[in-house]
Amino acid sequence: MKTFALLGNPNCGKTTLYNSLTGSTAHVGNWPGVTVEKRTGVYKKGSEQVEIIDLPGIYSLSPYTSEEVVSRNYILDEHPDCVINIIDATNLERNLYLTTQALEIDVPMIIALNMMDEVKKRGQNIDSKKLEKELGVPVVEISALKEEGIDLLMSRAIEVSNKKRDGKTVIKNNDLLHLIGDIKIAYKGMNVVNPLFHAIKLIEKDEIEVEMHASLLPMVNEFEKTFNDEMFGNDFEALIADARYNYISESFKDVVANSSNQKSSDEKLTKSDKIDKVLTNKWAGIPIFLAILFVIFHLVFSENLFFLGRLFENVTPSFAGTAYEGLIWSETGIASPGVFLQSLVTNTTDLLSDLVAEGLSNAPNWIQGFVVDGALGGLFAVASFIPQILLLFLFFAILEDSGYMARVAFILDRIFRKFGLSGRAFMPMIMGFGCSVPAMINTRTLASEQEKDATIKVIPFFSCGAKLPILTAIAGAIVEFFNVGNADLITYSMYILGMVTAIVTVIIMRNTTKRGKVSPFIMELPSYHLPQFKSLMIHLWDKLKHFIKKAFTIILASTIVIWFLSSFKWNFSMCSELYDGSGEFVGYNISESILHSIGSFIQPIFTPLGFGSQLGKYGWVFVVAAITGLIAKENVIATFGVLAASLIASGALSGNPGAIIGDESGISSTISMIQATGITVPGLLAFIAFNMTTIPCFAAVATAKSESIKGQFKWTLLFWIVTSLIVSSLVYVICTWWWTMFIAIFVAFIVGFVIYKYNKSHPANNELA
Amino acid sequence: MLLIYAPTNQEFKIVKILADEKLKKHLEDLGILPNGTISLLSVNGGNAICLVKNVRLALDKITASKILVA
Repeated sequence: MKTFALLGNPNCGKTTLYNSLTGSTAHVGNWPGVTVEKRTGVYKKGSEQVEIIDLPGIYSLSPYTSEEVVSRNYILDEHPDCVINIIDATNLERNLYLTTQALEIDVPMIIALNMMDEVKKRGQNIDSKKLEKELGVPVVEISALKEEGIDLLMSRAIEVSNKKRDGKTVIKNNDLLHLIGDIKIAYKGMNVVNPLFHAIKLIEKDEIEVEMHASLLPMVNEFEKTFNDEMFGNDFEALIADARYNYISESFKDVVANSSNQKSSDEKLTKSDKIDKVLTNKWAGIPIFLAILFVIFHLVFSENLFFLGRLFENVTPSFAGTAYEGLIWSETGIASPGVFLQSLVTNTTDLLSDLVAEGLSNAPNWIQGFVVDGALGGLFAVASFIPQILLLFLFFAILEDSGYMARVAFILDRIFRKFGLSGRAFMPMIMGFGCSVPAMINTRTLASEQEKDATIKVIPFFSCGAKLPILTAIAGAIVEFFNVGNADLITYSMYILGMVTAIVTVIIMRNTTKRGKVSPFIMELPSYHLPQFKSLMIHLWDKLKHFIKKAFTIILASTIVIWFLSSFKWNFSMCSELYDGSGEFVGYNISESILHSIGSFIQPIFTPLGFGSQLGKYGWVFVVAAITGLIAKENVIATFGVLAASLIASGALSGNPGAIIGDESGISSTISMIQATGITVPGLLAFIAFNMTTIPCFAAVATAKSESIKGQFKWTLLFWIVTSLIVSSLVYVICTWWWTMFIAIFVAFIVGFVIYKYNKSHPANNELA
Repeated sequence: MLLIYAPTNQEFKIVKILADEKLKKHLEDLGILPNGTISLLSVNGGNAICLVKNVRLALDKITASKILVA
């Protein structure tokens, strides 16, 4: 099978084209640096099947950050049969710069002139025939988004891939051409593939090239001494960059024709600039961003939309008396879209699990336990949170697709710099609210290793979608059982606690173990555009698939294991069966189980966190739930469900285990656990904090390991354990005895002072790096 | 003068880039190179948004002050 690689500037639409070619649903966003890994798919609609490789966007074949190396290496080392160079037609000049470099490689190439619909909308036209003639490779006009011109592109690409093409350069300077020729001949003698490309990179003193072929460097240095350009002296890299840009502006100035209204492109520019004047304003920028975040969280989590609850105090809930009671409004107020969707799913799965329980009423005891407590409890627990998670993702995707996120990175750069990070780190961090795994991979766009490592460590503190059930279930239970606070306020403040923890630990790391200069912030700001419905839906569909897959694999498996461990003794015989007063089977005695003895053994460690020894006989359930969270965070609430049912069965509590399984939002199982253990509100908050800041799930841990510098990973694990123990102890102790806050502030002050003094007398040795 | 002190919305010629090799190369690849033109769109506490080769680029204060224009 032939292999075609997609090469182009960041944010020019490579992944959009990739998705339409291969039918994939890879993540697309309107900011530079979404794709950081190469991706493979198959194009099946043409005369033959072709493998398509999506590569991270690059401005030049001399990489600046680590993900850009991937693109260069792929094109040079993997010898694709054809390079499809995607060009954002709305910005030919910048995009053709990369093209002039790619042309130097001996590989068949074709140009996909993307976003032609946008160009035409602006009243411009691009003479692609002229462009084709000038560049010497085919040029095809396409719109990746609207899937126009794609089949033509592929059929011409297949044609091109059958013919060899020799690299050619656009550099016109005779002295330089002479040197390029000499080095090229030397490379040919050394059997180097793509000699022209490598020769020019050597003259540019490209970092990777110099390392690879140091033996020919004296030739360049010798020539450098005799060379003197009036503008650039002997700065070859600037000279070559200038030569490329000159070639582009001279050759293509009449390719772009402004047909009807010359002004429209300028207008477009000023429109984006006008929005920027407000959104990136020195004073208003950050408050606007925080307000947007608050509104998003409010729309997703609030049970009292727009705080109109007062008006509903004496109103009958919507659908009163049915399974869907309170769906749209209740005594607390109007449900936000997020809460509405969640209740809709929960109420429906309620009905379903009642049916299943009824259908199984004549089955053997262990089957009832296994199906209802073990499997369904866990599955439904995850399912009920999918609507809220998806809605949160939808809002973030809208911000991303509009082009706003890149601006936020810019306005936050000023503040991030004070903490010791570049504003670029905002991108992986905000991705962390979705899932830590892609977020950690995205840290490749950070230019400094120290910053990258610090960012990977704090990404889990940006509470991911899977941790959301822990937050909402416990916050809901606190409000319902202790009758204090407001569920969405607790949720919002726990998110903020995670972010504050991230900031504080970054400051500490960047002043102690990870000292060094903050890397420069350079980011292209894309034009604002209305979010594309299609790409939003692709994004959500992708997330939905992810959660469903996870629910039926890892979470289902873990809940079954938890059920097994809580229903069997060490000798693998089942715990004794328990019956209620009327002789009806209710479950197995959890106090005899394997899980009970393991849990009780570790329980004391968590005493300072408020969910250890002080909770007595059944306190270990919280410990066990937290540990299952190391596999996948959804497990925490799924485990609550399984354990709460067993607790009730064991007679620790009165109640009906069936009711627990029916309650997917996890609130009633949390309440049962509160009743059985007597845990306090500070203890519950500390439990959330612990789950948020401790070692993330398996998948994230594995990603952190593969993205870390060698030898760093063990420190990352230790960092997570220590941070979570400190943060959640602080939450517990301060919330229980408020005056201890002053001790904490005092200690923090002393620590800060000592670090400051030490750094003053021991300046970082990599300060200049 | 330093780019960050330039008046906004006016085109300037780039005179010199004072950055280290790696950063200078990256800026050149983005079109910020001697003899080229640049215009400053806005400054936000020293961080700058400028227009280069028809593209809006955001630069932090330190990077922006490494660009000399006339």
